[in-house]
Amino acid sequence: MTDELDSLDPNVRWIVTEARRPVPADAAARDRLIDAINAEPVPSRGLRLVTWLLQPRRLVLPPLATAALAAGLVGVGVLGGIAINRDGRPAAVQLPAAAAGQTQLPDSLAPRAVKFVLIAPQATNVSLVGDFNGWDSGASPMKATDGTWTVFVSLQPGLHTYSFVVDGRHFVSDPTAPIAPGDGFGHRSSVVLVRQPSL
Amino acid sequence: MRSSLLRAIALLAIATTVSFAQDTLDPAADPLRRLDPSTRYAVEMLMDSARLARLPYGPLESKALEGIAKRANGRDILVAVRRVFRALRDARAALGPSATADELTAAAGALRAGIAASELSLLAATRNGKPLTMPLVVLADLVTRGVPRDTAAFTIFQLWQRGAADDDFLGLWRSVERDIVSGTNPSVALLNRAREIPAKGPSTAVPPAAGVRPEDAKS
Repeated sequence: MTDELDSLDPNVRWIVTEARRPVPADAAARDRLIDAINAEPVPSRGLRLVTWLLQPRRLVLPPLATAALAAGLVGVGVLGGIAINRDGRPAAVQLPAAAAGQTQLPDSLAPRAVKFVLIAPQATNVSLVGDFNGWDSGASPMKATDGTWTVFVSLQPGLHTYSFVVDGRHFVSDPTAPIAPGDGFGHRSSVVLVRQPSL
Repeated sequence: MRSSLLRAIALLAIATTVSFAQDTLDPAADPLRRLDPSTRYAVEMLMDSARLARLPYGPLESKALEGIAKRANGRDILVAVRRVFRALRDARAALGPSATADELTAAAGALRAGIAASELSLLAATRNGKPLTMPLVVLADLVTRGVPRDTAAFTIFQLWQRGAADDDFLGLWRSVERDIVSGTNPSVALLNRAREIPAKGPSTAVPPAAGVRPEDAKS
């Protein structure tokens, strides 16, 4: 040890020597320190929890666990999105159209089951599109019996515009219903007036 | 630090992808999303204008969706939606503030078929609380099938004055449609079939509309 000090610069040697010199302390100092610590109030459980929660920490995860966590979070978001409808109301609050008509709506507003028929023996598939299903050709597929295609759709009372889609490409108006004038796209659509029961 | 950043980006990318996929799978969530941005913006502006004018905006959205379903381009869709908007506005002016959404929609169809706004005002002025939707639907259909506008408007108005009900108009439409398919002149088919409907109320003398030939009315 002495050899080590001897090899040092005299100024550094002085600093090291001074640093190693024992500091004379008051004998009662330790007791005073212990008393001061004991005098401090013990933090409550809630405060400790908050402190623990607010304390920054580093979370180390392997890539697989990170991906699983990400998938879980995304899944929660997707399920939440599915549970909320377009108008912002939870889906569970909304009754099916027919049930809503029976239990909540006045009779004049209750949906009516309307039968749509198209005779098309050569068609391989026919669907019904209209303002009641967003003109979505997958929403109301029709069923065929000996070339007669039918579907029942629940419609609110009022005026509706619709058309048949034959084989996914051809828009055909209903020959048994009035024509909706000028669709603007080179096809003809039809109209149906679903009347209220009192009329 | 860099690893955390990469993970955050990956998480965001996954969330965005899944959200986009969900939107793609659920067309009901945003039916107009299939429009190009500029067309969609214009359509939504028209729908907002309709809301502000207290016009039904459902027909505008429906027309846009109809265009999408019929694979029309954005320009044609916008033209069609604008046409519906203008027709609804004109229908409101012709029928008055008490017209229902269905009546406005039917009247807009009649205007697009070529019926004059003054003819619609005439019907509205004599409605006496009766719904106008069915006569307007039949009127628009008849004109679309080839009945001259003035003849169709004059005949429907006469029946309306005589107290014809929705079932009468629907029955008239069925008969005329059948006759036209059988080869009868549309105008003659309408005039003949209209005479079969009995009067249900006090008849008011209505001057013949321009374009209706006396021989047509008597044949």
